[in-house]
Amino acid sequence: MADDQITITIDGVEVMARPGQTVLEAAIEAGIYIPYLCYHPGLKPFAACRMCVVEVENGPGFPASCTLPVADGMVVKNTSNQVHELRRNIMEMLIAEHPHGCLTCHRVDLCGPQDICLRHVSVNDRCVTCPKNERCELKDTVRYLGMSLESPLEYKYRDLPVETGDPFYDRDYNLCIVCGRCVRVCEEVRGDNAITFTERAGQALVGTSFGTSLLESGCEFCGACLDVCPVGALVESDHKWEKAQRVERTICPHCPVGCQLNLEVNQFGKVIRSIPEINSPANKGQACFKGKFGLDFVNHKERLKKPFIRRDGKLEEASWDEALDYMAERLQPYKGPSFAMLTSPNSTNEEHYLAQKFARVVMGTNSVDQTSNTRPIMAEALQEVLGYAAATNPIWELEQAKCILVFDANLTEEHNVLGVPIKRAVKEGTRLIVIDPREVELTRYAHLWLRPRPGTELLLLGAILKGILDQGLERREWLDENCEGLEALRGALASVDIDAVVEESGVSRDLIDKAVRIYAPSEPSAIVYGLDNVPEELHRDCVHALASLALLTGNLGKAFSGIYPLRRGANEQGAWDVGCVPHLLPGYAPVSDAGARRRFEEEWGCRIVEEPGLSLQQIFDEARLGQIKAMFIVGDSPNLNNGELGDGLAALEALEFLVVQDTFLSPAAQRAHVVLPRATFAEKSGTFTNLERRIQTIRPVVSIKSSEARSEERTICQLAQRMQAKGFDFSSSAEVMDEIARLTPIYGGVSHRRLEAEGRIVFRPDVSNPLPTQVLYSDKEYRGLQWPCLTVESKGTPTLYSEGFTVRKARMPAPDFRKAEIDHSGSDRPFVFAPGRVLLQSEREIDVIKGKENRVEREEIIELHRDDARMLGVQEGDVVEVQTNRGAVRGRAVFRDGIQRGVVSATFLFGQLMVELEASQDPDPMSRVPGLEVTSARLIKVSNP
Amino acid sequence: MTSTAESLRQRVNRALNSQKPKTITVLSCLLAVEDELGYIPQEAAEEVARFTDSTINDVWGVASFYTNFQFQPPGRHRVEVCWGPTCHVLGAMDAIGEVLKSLDLSGEGTTDDGAISLRYNTCLGACANGPVMSVDHHLIGRITPERAAQIVGELKERQTVGGPGAP
Repeated sequence: MADDQITITIDGVEVMARPGQTVLEAAIEAGIYIPYLCYHPGLKPFAACRMCVVEVENGPGFPASCTLPVADGMVVKNTSNQVHELRRNIMEMLIAEHPHGCLTCHRVDLCGPQDICLRHVSVNDRCVTCPKNERCELKDTVRYLGMSLESPLEYKYRDLPVETGDPFYDRDYNLCIVCGRCVRVCEEVRGDNAITFTERAGQALVGTSFGTSLLESGCEFCGACLDVCPVGALVESDHKWEKAQRVERTICPHCPVGCQLNLEVNQFGKVIRSIPEINSPANKGQACFKGKFGLDFVNHKERLKKPFIRRDGKLEEASWDEALDYMAERLQPYKGPSFAMLTSPNSTNEEHYLAQKFARVVMGTNSVDQTSNTRPIMAEALQEVLGYAAATNPIWELEQAKCILVFDANLTEEHNVLGVPIKRAVKEGTRLIVIDPREVELTRYAHLWLRPRPGTELLLLGAILKGILDQGLERREWLDENCEGLEALRGALASVDIDAVVEESGVSRDLIDKAVRIYAPSEPSAIVYGLDNVPEELHRDCVHALASLALLTGNLGKAFSGIYPLRRGANEQGAWDVGCVPHLLPGYAPVSDAGARRRFEEEWGCRIVEEPGLSLQQIFDEARLGQIKAMFIVGDSPNLNNGELGDGLAALEALEFLVVQDTFLSPAAQRAHVVLPRATFAEKSGTFTNLERRIQTIRPVVSIKSSEARSEERTICQLAQRMQAKGFDFSSSAEVMDEIARLTPIYGGVSHRRLEAEGRIVFRPDVSNPLPTQVLYSDKEYRGLQWPCLTVESKGTPTLYSEGFTVRKARMPAPDFRKAEIDHSGSDRPFVFAPGRVLLQSEREIDVIKGKENRVEREEIIELHRDDARMLGVQEGDVVEVQTNRGAVRGRAVFRDGIQRGVVSATFLFGQLMVELEASQDPDPMSRVPGLEVTSARLIKVSNP
Repeated sequence: MTSTAESLRQRVNRALNSQKPKTITVLSCLLAVEDELGYIPQEAAEEVARFTDSTINDVWGVASFYTNFQFQPPGRHRVEVCWGPTCHVLGAMDAIGEVLKSLDLSGEGTTDDGAISLRYNTCLGACANGPVMSVDHHLIGRITPERAAQIVGELKERQTVGGPGAP
């Protein structure tokens, strides 16, 4: 027997366990059932419910098995009469505080809501009127224990009001059994502490500080507490009483974290709830407000169901055949540079591949891009330095990094689940450095918050790099072996004067020094970056500087380190991988490379234009100039009308022929000549590649009644065939993936068959035993494959460059350290407005109007610099208004030292956003969550205090 | 933000910063606030959360656990009646009944005019002299229901006739 193996006996069965395991965990692994209510996989043992008590031979009393460590030779009795009787007694006490007239009744599964009850159980107390009926762990456990009908203890209804005013979910603490799972998941896993145990002993319950609403308690509405609640106390307010008929696993379409979700589908084929999967490598049982509450668009009544063709200025219903024939004919004259193809960030890999193939083979242009790709440099610049345009390490390795640097990213909102390992790491002592002019949720957790004046981010990075070199903190040997061009960086840094950076950025020398001394010697350190607000002209150099930071300190190619670019869309990574960008062919082969072109030309039987196509920005610029005359756009994007692309809709109006395939009649679709109904992620199969390069399968979950919506995969294939193109006769997305694998080396070993076949059975639920919903749904584990996965034998590559830089050495860049002039002092919007958003602000008064729907009503605070205020004649406490081109914010002026001259800032409450999202009439509000954008603004004094 | 709220926060922060124990915890902070203000307003919970780098909900978990903490401003006078085992046996419940009647309360709490707060106490440490009550921390032993009512009555009287007076 190995040293790390312990043998215990449970009811005469020998069970192998590892040291440090608890008896309950060992039993679960061995498939032996011990009832439990407060234990949940992923949470620390708590021993609150006492349901898992066992008897240990020669041991004292009846210990709770969830906190009992295994010891070699331990003999455990799990089913003795004494244990069973004790558990029943414990359950009697538990249900003395929970309505249980039905729980202990033998007819529990036979009654309907209107049945006359022979036992006089009041309607409020019946299981059939509980939203959790049929998925209630307490009920199942009561049945398992075989409780008798009569309980000696008196039941008293707590008579608490049901909290229904907060967005997305309802809380009925009359049903709470105080197992503490929700409080623990909120604290241990999410790091939020939005709820707590209140009072003690018999009065102990779960609640918020002073009984406030969740809007002001710091809740991020991730729904983690709902997923673990064993009773009906916490439930989603939408589809509250609806029952799931089946459950399907798929991937969330909202962001590139790639959370696996188990979607519950009701008898009418509607998606009613979303439960994140616990055995998934990217999200580990977590989701966020988007994945948990933002999938309503799938069943939305306003979805497009038929194709439309514009005739005489009006969109008229048509059949698919008509629409496709019409398109095939109308697109003919635009073959060549006057056509552009735009895909959606939540198109699958297969669809992105087909879209670029269609553009290149059929339409003869390289102008193909995604509607979300407004920051193409983000990954491209990383590729220039390191070799691959992707995050180097897995998401959850962040949990064990010793230092994490977050650069200009509001990731707790835009990539929410990515924030979970970061917050957990901070709790365990990891140092967090945030560089951002805005106050975002992570700044609260940060040890250092560097708040540069917008436009000086690159200078600040230069100062940090210089600090590392000046103090000799670079990893010489590692650099010699893996990297070339260090001298070039030294040269570029020669122009950086730290004192000048301090002056320009407004970040103190002390903070810069601290950042150097924390980031460089911590081993390992990781970098996470978005480019939310860095001026576009600095994108490339900023990424180069960040990559140099990782290179200088040797934080690449090893576990828990690396660099993570944060794209926005769910599958932008995949789009790049399969060549759905204007300058790259599948597998990052440059279009300008004749050899690469020839390979694809032979394979596709066509000629590929040698010039790289137009990027998203250029496509819209050219459309306005009349050079792009026809376009095929898949999906909707906020970028079309939020100004990122100038007046995007006006550009579309200028087109001669526009095809839009979309789920809803979006503003773009309203301007189209042909509108095609688009299938959502929940109706198609294919693969998404998440930000850690993990290729995961999405599966058809529902089919929409009387809808003719199709995936763009099918549309493109049929359209291409009608245009007499060869190589589009795919019968399934699996076949498309086979072609991708053949042509894209990094996807070489990937196939749908393999992704499906490698699903590992983690657990065979014995339906006769009560189990948490998340455990019940987690019957199989799909880990996907992380590219590069060159062959069918390859297991994928979790960490890039772990074998060193084998293809080529990393090229140390030499950024031109400079600031971007965002000087609008001459214009009518002389200020820079840096909005922030946080979960809670303890120091600020918040008024929540409690009602049917709670509302946040609070006075905003506009932070500005003393000198600016003096110039404007503003006193502290005056009411001022910040006006930007996106609207105005009014609030009371406050002077803060952290604010740079020329910058005004206001920090809003996340709760406000949640209320707006819930009330939104937009069919898919989650795809439009407003980012925190730094804009130019003017400041106007409204009144004196 | 009102100026009273601001000055409340200042008082709280003064109390928090003047703590001298070796280990400063959420609990010690709450005690410091309770000593300063006599109760824990929501603002204080927020300041304690900031001071101890925890969240308001953590603070609330601790504060609501201990029955010593109050969340409403206390009355100007504090009346405590012991209902610990000894006093209970010696007839404290009758005394409590009279006090409640005299103050027009139905349990622990503060009178409508904010003058007197009544608290039950599980032991005032003078069992030999039970039943015991205390008025503004001044102990009075061997009380009878009549004596208790009289003491509270006099306290009320002082409030209305002589204005706010020290005991």
